[in-house]
Amino acid sequence: MYQPLLANRYLTSRIIPLIAVAAVALCVGLVIIVVSVMSGFLDMLLSSGRTLMADVIVRSGDPGLPYYEELINDLEDLPEAAAATPVVESFGLLKLPYEDRTEGVQLWGIDSESFGRVVDFEQTLVWNAVPPEVESALEVLGDRLGNPKPPTDLGSIPRLDPVGPGDDPRIVLGVEIEGSAKSRTAEGTYDVTYPRYWMPINDVEITLLPLSRDGRVQKPDNRLFNVANEFSTGVYQIDSKRALVGLKTAQRMLNLEAGILADPRILEETGEVVSIGPDPARVQMILVRAADGYSAEQLRNATREAYERFAARIDADGALPRKAPNPIHVGIRTWREQLRDILGPVEKERELMRILFSIVYLVCAGLVLSIFWAIVHEKTRDIGILRAVGASRPGILGVFLAYGLVIGLAGSVLGALLGWTITNNINAIHEAMGEPAPVWSWILAWLISLAMLVFAIISAFRGGMLRTLLSIVGVLVFAAVGIALFLHQGFMMWDPRVYYFNSIPSRVDWFSAVLTMAGAIVFSVLGAAIPAARAADTDPVRALRYE
Amino acid sequence: MNTPLDHPPAGTEPILSCEGLRKTYRLGRIPVPVLEEATVDVHEGEWLAILGASGSGKSTLLHILGGLDHPDQDGGVVSYRGETVSGLRGSALNSYRNRDIGFVFQFYHLLPELSVLENSMLPCLVPGRWLSASLPLAAAAAGAVTCGLAGWFFGDAALPAADDATSARLAVVAITWAVVGAALGVLAFQLLQVIAERTRLRVGARARESRQTLEEFGLGHRLQHRPSQLSGGERQRTAIARALANSPKVLLADEPTGNLDANTGREILDLLKARHDAGLTIVMVTHDPKVAAYADRVIRIEDGCVLEVED
Repeated sequence: MYQPLLANRYLTSRIIPLIAVAAVALCVGLVIIVVSVMSGFLDMLLSSGRTLMADVIVRSGDPGLPYYEELINDLEDLPEAAAATPVVESFGLLKLPYEDRTEGVQLWGIDSESFGRVVDFEQTLVWNAVPPEVESALEVLGDRLGNPKPPTDLGSIPRLDPVGPGDDPRIVLGVEIEGSAKSRTAEGTYDVTYPRYWMPINDVEITLLPLSRDGRVQKPDNRLFNVANEFSTGVYQIDSKRALVGLKTAQRMLNLEAGILADPRILEETGEVVSIGPDPARVQMILVRAADGYSAEQLRNATREAYERFAARIDADGALPRKAPNPIHVGIRTWREQLRDILGPVEKERELMRILFSIVYLVCAGLVLSIFWAIVHEKTRDIGILRAVGASRPGILGVFLAYGLVIGLAGSVLGALLGWTITNNINAIHEAMGEPAPVWSWILAWLISLAMLVFAIISAFRGGMLRTLLSIVGVLVFAAVGIALFLHQGFMMWDPRVYYFNSIPSRVDWFSAVLTMAGAIVFSVLGAAIPAARAADTDPVRALRYE
Repeated sequence: MNTPLDHPPAGTEPILSCEGLRKTYRLGRIPVPVLEEATVDVHEGEWLAILGASGSGKSTLLHILGGLDHPDQDGGVVSYRGETVSGLRGSALNSYRNRDIGFVFQFYHLLPELSVLENSMLPCLVPGRWLSASLPLAAAAAGAVTCGLAGWFFGDAALPAADDATSARLAVVAITWAVVGAALGVLAFQLLQVIAERTRLRVGARARESRQTLEEFGLGHRLQHRPSQLSGGERQRTAIARALANSPKVLLADEPTGNLDANTGREILDLLKARHDAGLTIVMVTHDPKVAAYADRVIRIEDGCVLEVED
């Protein structure tokens, strides 16, 4: 078999295949890096979105879902569900402890214990201990500040509802709601810059607007809350808007707690409250976590059926004064559907990137094609010789296909290695880019440039045209690199203080990587096939006469 | 005009013959006749020289005899051992070129990337059609099936965690892996072949024969050299060793000394003569009567016609 022998010799005895391999490797590496970073970014968004959003969300607007404990029991009995938790949702006004600043927030009333089972609440808590800056500040300023007591349960899921008389309700704020007392570091943690206003030693005031059954705003309710901790999901839209309080407190403030249901006619006519039955507590949302092995979609479908059964049962029970909201008005969505506005654009961007970078394959194929065209052109006489000694057309085709295959395979493996290395070390590279270039680097570049200048002058005197030219190119390149390194003062492409990641999210998406490699191999072989077929068709006599 | 061979060596049958050969090239729309009704018989063990000026059609005649070129439609027949070879196509033609005929060219036509030994063994490395196509295909299929199945069964691992492993996605994974697997299969086969080829070149029976021939031709110290490192005479000796690799019955030589000085040319002719004396049939094209003098029989070709026979 002469094909492997010849393909091997053609590959190892000249520089063109190395250029082709480098081109394929760069294309593959580029695609892998870009898709990995995009996938990592999407993953980060997905996981941070998921940390405060369960797999399935059952949502009903005011007046909310009555008998929700029963529904939660129903849902927790489903094999698809692992846990469920009630949530009260409302818009509220939050008054910060300084300058009478007031922010609009999305207030969630949660049952911390079951909430922690449904979502990864504990992981999102920012403060595990009192920062040293705050401790030292408190030692100095403690008296002037009224000796505030930092929470003792930092780092674990805080209790939010008051348990006894004299207990204040507590609140967990999104980390971006208050931004002036702390700053985000390059590591993605927070430094307290103004210990006086470190939130967990302060109180905030929350004002909520309860609605009547017919949807009218009633007397606003405002209360003081101790800040228990802050949370960070990584999604700015959530971290800058959401505050978590206890479920019971929220229900009380929004008139959603259990009570008695008064006869509305007598109430209107005489002002007398005549009970027609107990009024159940209500919530606006139930978050459900999927059991292991079940997808969010499966859980959503099971939840929908469970809700329909629940609603039918409540409606059929004539003794219950409140009815369950009609299933068609209850939104039951997966967390992906719920976060579509955030995830959608990134998912689309990733797909767009894939399409755009598929064009890179075509460039790669074009490159391989032109390289092969040149090689086959150069090897026309060899083809004639091979045909003269009895080589078949498929045999000749095989030589060049093997050649393309090796280039495609070597290029894609090297490209995958390149992509993998860069993706895995992207944060180190990014950090190095963020630092000013070390002095030795630009001095070295200039010394190389100087050495090449000397070499260029010697070559010019000796009359070597190519060497002179290459040396001049080297002088220019190294001088430019030296200048660039000299001027480089550190450049953070994704500054964690500005962008919302601690590190560049990246994850080698092996599905895309293998797809990219396969694409590169196929395109390389196809790029080789056309000139190879032309080579195989060459008339031997004509090929032998070819000069 | 054409004169068939009228003085065949007694007692021998033609091993290679052509009758009424016509060949026309086209220069744009203008037909240029090169051979017209050429008829030649070559007898076994004979050294025939075809003498003629440049452009007389002697090389074309040689190419048609060797199956490198075809006569015009209905432009005569070429027979080898009584069987028509001018209509051969595909593997039969390749086999004729590979086993029955050996070619020596004026410009040596050695493959520059191969060593002297590898060049001289080239015809032995060209296998039959079945072998050349089916083995790499089998390797590709084995690689594709193995990796495709692995991709199908372990596809879940390759899919991003957030996605559900639907069968369509699994199929994409499996096909992708099959492509990579096919490539790896062919590559593995190729590597094995390179190793096997190296071994064959070192210790195989054919390698021994080729080595022996090259040593006989005074190239024993040049076995691993590349053609670019050889002199013109050494290159031509390598080319002759290549032509003789598969022990063909007929050697077709196209101006074998045309590119060499007189002394080297003589050496080459002596070498051919030694082979001829051992029973090799030689058809040699030349424009030099001194070279033609080595032949048993000389025919002259002029304007595409076999003109005369000279003893």
